[in-house]
This record gives sequence, C-alpha cells and structure tokens, in this order.
Amino acid sequence: MTRIARRLAAWWFAPAPAERLAMLRIVIGGAALVWLLARLPEIYAVAQLPADHFAPAGVVRVLGAPLPLALALGLAIATAGLLVAFVVGFRFRYLAPLAAAGVLWSLSYRNSWGMKFHTENLMVLHVIALAVTPAADAWAIDRKPAAPPAAGYGWAIKLLIALLAATYLLAGIAKLRIAGMAWLDGEQLRNQIAIDNLRKALLGSSIAPLAIPFLDHPSWFIGFSVMTIVLELGAPIALVSPRAGRWWGLVAWGFHVGVVLLMNIWFPYPLSGVAYLPLLRVERAGHWLIARWRRRAGMPGS
Amino acid sequence: MQRLAAAVVSGVLVAATLSPVLRAPWQDDFPLSTYPMFAFARPTTLTMDYALGGTAAGEPRYLDPRLLGTGEVLQAYTVIATAKENRQLPTLCRQIAARVAEDDERDDVAFVRIVTGTHDAVDYLVRHHEGRETELTRCPVPR
Repeated sequence: MTRIARRLAAWWFAPAPAERLAMLRIVIGGAALVWLLARLPEIYAVAQLPADHFAPAGVVRVLGAPLPLALALGLAIATAGLLVAFVVGFRFRYLAPLAAAGVLWSLSYRNSWGMKFHTENLMVLHVIALAVTPAADAWAIDRKPAAPPAAGYGWAIKLLIALLAATYLLAGIAKLRIAGMAWLDGEQLRNQIAIDNLRKALLGSSIAPLAIPFLDHPSWFIGFSVMTIVLELGAPIALVSPRAGRWWGLVAWGFHVGVVLLMNIWFPYPLSGVAYLPLLRVERAGHWLIARWRRRAGMPGS
Repeated sequence: MQRLAAAVVSGVLVAATLSPVLRAPWQDDFPLSTYPMFAFARPTTLTMDYALGGTAAGEPRYLDPRLLGTGEVLQAYTVIATAKENRQLPTLCRQIAARVAEDDERDDVAFVRIVTGTHDAVDYLVRHHEGRETELTRCPVPR
C-alpha cells in the first residue's frame, strides 16, 4: 500500500462510535418513514392519473405500463412496515436492504408521472447507504455483535457525508455546464425565481414571501448566484474536517431557508436538518435521552 | 465488515451518485439526478396552460392543484400539459369542474376554463400587469 493510499484509508476509516451510526439509522430511517407516509395520498392521487401520463423514472423503467392502483399503494405501505424494522434495527441485515429497495421503488414510482422532484433524492441515497452498513450494531432490537466490524463505523458516516456533498456538487456542475459563467450574473436566477412564482400564482398556489420585494431589486441576485455556486461547488469541503463540515452544513441549511423565502419550494429533508446530521455528533442526543429516561425511571447508573 | 468490502460499497455508491455528470445535464432521472433545476437560462415571459374558475359574473378564481387531482403545483402543470398533448382538455375540464362542485370553498365558481396565458413574470408579480389569455376549452360546474 502506498503512502497516499495509507493516508486515504486512515482518513476514510477514521473511527467513530457505533452509536453515532445507529442514531443516523434511527433519524434518517424515521424521516423516510414519515415522508413515505405523508406521500401516500399523493402516491394514491398520481397513480389514478390516466396511463398516458406515466413516464417511468429510474428503476421503474422496468415497467411498460402503470401498476394497478392497489399494488402501487400496497408496495408503499409494505415499505413503510419495512422502514419500521429499519428504524428499530430488527433483522437489519436482511430487512434493511428490502426497506431501501422499497423506498427506491415507491419514490421512483411517485416521480414517474411526468415531473421529477428533487426533494427526496438524497434521502433515498442515504437510506440505501445505511442499509448496507452495520448501522444496527447499537441501539437496536438485533443482538449486539460480539466484536465491532474490522472496518469500524466511521467510513459509513463518511459515506453519508460524501453522498450529501455529491448531490450539491452535481447541482453546481449542472449550472456551469448548462449556463456557464453567465449563471453568475444574477439575471438567470432572478428570472427562474420570477417564473417559478408566476407559475405558482397561475396554478393557484402560494407565492414566496420575499419574492416580490427582491424581484423589484435585481442587483441582489448577483450575490445570491455567487453564493449558490460557491456553496454547491464547495460542498466537498464538508469531507475535509468535522468543523468545516458543520460550517458548510449551516450555510447549506440557510440556503434552503432562502429557497423557501424566495421560491416557496420546500426541501423537507435538508430543511429539517436531517440531511446534515452525519456532520454532527448526533449520538450525544441519544445518550442524553437515554440518561434522562433512566433518571425518570429511577434506574441505577443514571 | 472488512475494509475492502466497505471500500467497494463506498466506491460504488459515490460513483453511482456522481455518474449523472457523464450524461447530458438535461437528462434528469431519479434518484440519480443531474440536478438541472434552475440551471437553464429563461426569459421572464412565460406562456403556459392553466385552469381558471369563473363566477357567474365572470370574475376569475384561481384553482389550486388539488382540483387537478394532485397536491403538487408542478404535477398540476404536467397534468394540463399532458392532457393538451393528448387532446383531452375537455375531459380534464369536466374532471376539474366535478371536483370544484364538491368544494364548499368554491361554491361561487360557475364554470371552469383552461387557457393559454402569456405573462411577463416580473410585470405580473411586481406591477400587477396581466398579459393575455386565450381560452382552450370551457365547461360548466355541475351544481
């Protein structure tokens, strides 16, 4: 192994506690469960659209025609059940990949009706990644393994951060590939925001609270455009160090708040903060909750 | 889990996530997306098809996406575009009208129109200057 490969391996496999990965399994799996349950009415609604609206995306391309409504809905409900097992860490090695496959299928099916949303891509990727890691070695119904895995747990958390960074990086690259440096002049972002809000107004939906004040002052959009590109292309900095990751995560969260205020587009996964939890020492919240519960129950060791 | 297996799993997932960079940026997919949203240059003038309600006196009423059979505004946009492409606007109009009839909050809506509107987004939103609308189909709300 060369020196560079050794340093790379030491960085990727830097140790992290099993509880951190377990906490991410619980929260990200829980977020996916809540999201899927909340999307059931929408899955039901789009699955009733005429078959000529069906435009299969991703893994759903194996279908030549829409599924019967009951089957589409049944698969989503079964996935919700599997996600419960995922969250509590029950038979994780076998059921977690099934849960991830179910999430991938159900949300791909929901995105197969002519409009691809970008609100749930990262969540799907995170669930898939967690499903193939030892994320149920702590705080799970499954019995704790006799010894921790040789690769440890830190790599799995790095993987979640890498997927997070990759999605933002791709968004930045797309802007430069499609529009080039012209994207930075602010006009394109302003026009996008104006058109998006007009479309909402014409389709009877609410427009964003800060859209109109800012649309009247176009110079602001130069700053917004530059900040967006720096944030997106700079996403890999989240992998450099925990401190850099936390700062980047805070700025990225603020960016999504800005998207709500200017476009009324809600990305619940990042807005709730769940997308950025791999950047934090989330196990502390779990330890705090357990200690609190033990104190209340009057258990020893509290 | 051995380090080699963990490295392979990591490499495959990261490579798959980044793989859309090899596609044309407008070839979007799910969940492996190029994330092309907001990347395209566009003018502020928008021509699009949408449904509008109208009172007996002719006052316009905006219809939310739910009345087009979806909770999502972008999906509603696609529903109308697809119906137009498939020459099914009159059918869609009747479906919307049937939903309007069951909506207590819209009991003043007497008819539904599907129109093509052309508006300048900044003029419309900031200066309240509406563009022009051309009616594609119209149907009564069954009461």
